[in-house]
Amino acid sequence: MRIGEIVETTSTGFVAESFTLNRPPPLGSLVAVSLPAQDMEIYAVVAYGQTVGLDPGRRAVRRSTEIVFDEAIYHEHPELKHILRTEFGAVLVGYLAEGQVWQHLPPQPPPLHFSVQTVETGELRRFTDHLLYFRLLLSYNGPVSPLQVLAANVREVYRQRGSDRAWLDVAAREIATLLKNDHEALLTVLYAIDPGEASAIAERRGQL
Amino acid sequence: MSNKRLGVVVDGAFNSGLTVRLDPGVTTEQLRIGSFVVVEGQRNRYFSLISDIHLKATDPRLLSDPPRATSPFIAHTLSGTSTYATVEVRPMLMLEKPDESDPRALLEMRRGPQPVKTIPIHFAELREATELDFATVFGKEGGVYFAMGTPLTMDIPICLNLAHFVERSDGIFGQSGTGKSFLARLVICGVIKSKVAVNLIFDMHDEYAFDKQTEDGRWVKGLRQIFGPQVLIYSLDEELARRSGRNADVTLKIGLNQIEEADVILLSEELNLRQTAEATIGLLRDHFRGQWLLKLLQMTQEELEEWCKNSGAHAGAASSLQRNLKRLQRQEYIVEEAPFAALDDMIESLDRGKHVILQFGRHNSVLDYLLVSNLVTRRVRQRYEEKTRRYEESKNPKDKPRPLMITIEEAHKFLNPAVARQTTFGIIAREMRKYNVTLLVIDQRPSSIDPEVMSQLGTRITGKLTEERDIDAVLTGVSNRNALRGALESLDTRQEVLIMGHAVPMPISLRTRQYDEAFYQAMGAPEASQGPEIGIRDLFGED
Repeated sequence: MRIGEIVETTSTGFVAESFTLNRPPPLGSLVAVSLPAQDMEIYAVVAYGQTVGLDPGRRAVRRSTEIVFDEAIYHEHPELKHILRTEFGAVLVGYLAEGQVWQHLPPQPPPLHFSVQTVETGELRRFTDHLLYFRLLLSYNGPVSPLQVLAANVREVYRQRGSDRAWLDVAAREIATLLKNDHEALLTVLYAIDPGEASAIAERRGQL
Repeated sequence: MSNKRLGVVVDGAFNSGLTVRLDPGVTTEQLRIGSFVVVEGQRNRYFSLISDIHLKATDPRLLSDPPRATSPFIAHTLSGTSTYATVEVRPMLMLEKPDESDPRALLEMRRGPQPVKTIPIHFAELREATELDFATVFGKEGGVYFAMGTPLTMDIPICLNLAHFVERSDGIFGQSGTGKSFLARLVICGVIKSKVAVNLIFDMHDEYAFDKQTEDGRWVKGLRQIFGPQVLIYSLDEELARRSGRNADVTLKIGLNQIEEADVILLSEELNLRQTAEATIGLLRDHFRGQWLLKLLQMTQEELEEWCKNSGAHAGAASSLQRNLKRLQRQEYIVEEAPFAALDDMIESLDRGKHVILQFGRHNSVLDYLLVSNLVTRRVRQRYEEKTRRYEESKNPKDKPRPLMITIEEAHKFLNPAVARQTTFGIIAREMRKYNVTLLVIDQRPSSIDPEVMSQLGTRITGKLTEERDIDAVLTGVSNRNALRGALESLDTRQEVLIMGHAVPMPISLRTRQYDEAFYQAMGAPEASQGPEIGIRDLFGED
């Protein structure tokens, strides 16, 4: 499903404008850019989202009243849909070429104005069976800390893989290996991806 | 067959051993100090021992501030990644792997495990030893390979090479209660069964010949009951020798004429002899030759004074010596004059392949034990030296003396540094290997044994020892002492032993074999129901 269009692109990531206002793809989710000419699919992880005015020099102003607020504002001011835009940034984590998944940077940045698409569950499983792309996520510099992007990605993939506890344990160990010299950073990520007792109990019930 | 990977080699040196990082999921509690593991190198397989286990963390801050009240998820993730364990591994033997690409190499005769000459490189895999590994290193049961027990973690027999075992003097050590005499019985049974040597056992506490009750209340058979007439029983105690069902074959008497100067000197402590005794005995010997002891004991006060005047001996010293030596005369088994024939018969029996147990019965004081075993052994030694010389002259294989293993308990009495140079046992321990006589030394205080003797011991079988000096003594002259020290300290008090030395390719901790009905059967003992027949054979001989 197409969800946005690339409006800025580099070798390490891109910025895309979301097709739906205020609803960029979830932080940490895997998105793809298709290049049919090269028979290639580039994968990226959503690293931040923002909604701003079309004119970067002008700040948004207050529009709510006593009775018109939240969602109602957009009905009251239909022009908002044309003067606001929602953007999201994504960091490149690999690509699919010649039938094989690679978890390193693609040779070229994805082309400007190409579509950004969601990734099907089967494809997501195939890509996340390997975790080398965690290294690319950790080296990314953006408005959101790479640790939080990584944690968001793990949470998102865990959910999309159907609460796959085995995968989560492997991912957690991979992160522990990557952050072996920085205990605090490691705990930051682990606290953020801990599924908690509830999930462990649920899982045990599922096994019984 | 388990073939479980434990970790990878990350560091090491030839001299200090290898460091292996354990894989996540392998807990330190799975591993025991001294257990047998295998490192798979590229070209060689290294049979190794675990000598130490360390706990480590990738980030030292974690150690100063361990996570508090963390969820199971986080604890599970940290263990094996941020916090991990390494083990120190000592390669003991290596085996070249056949080149699988070359079918000819596979067919060629494989050389057995060799001493370690190199070490594997980084990331060589450490795994648990399999049954095949044990069999490769320790050999298969049968022939001279005698199963002593099983490894602590597995249920396959570990064998002792008995041909090697009897080549040199050996030791069995352990605190009291660790089952030394059972171990000794086990080994002696193996030696009798495999016929690699004949045994002469000085049985101070009457525990080898007949059945005996163990600490847990079971009755276990003695050597006579397992091997029948192959085992001859000599006794010092006439009363004991006559007991029905447990009768001895020969009652041994010792003549005063057989007691020599060295025997008496060995008893200095037991007989309260003074420093001057040695000089006085020397003078007596010069005067009376072989009859010195008899003459001394027969002299009246006046005769003794007269003799002192003539010979220049100190009268006080001589009379106190006489007083002290009277104690020997009072022993029931001592007669004025005994021929050497009885002893020589015993030695001939040994030569015909019989095994001899010398029981002390009621005469089991240290004095009796020291005197008789030293005296008997001296005669054995003389005869063996003669036999060896004859064999060297004739080069006739028939003349070759049978290897003999002499078992002594409380060995430190004969082999402590003060007397080891004088006793026959000291001489045997140091040099008698060339005359085909070796010792099986049983003791609970190895630190009291002369270090020179300890260093000559070929194979050491040791139960748990806690005294620091005893551990040091047992490990005298052994390489990789630190690794073995840990293994020794972690032994259980019952049924667990560490074997090292000449008869095993590498040191190993074992759970010893059960000394039970199955064992008797394996040793070829007759079924329990055939009891009366043994009695008949005992009476009328094997024909």
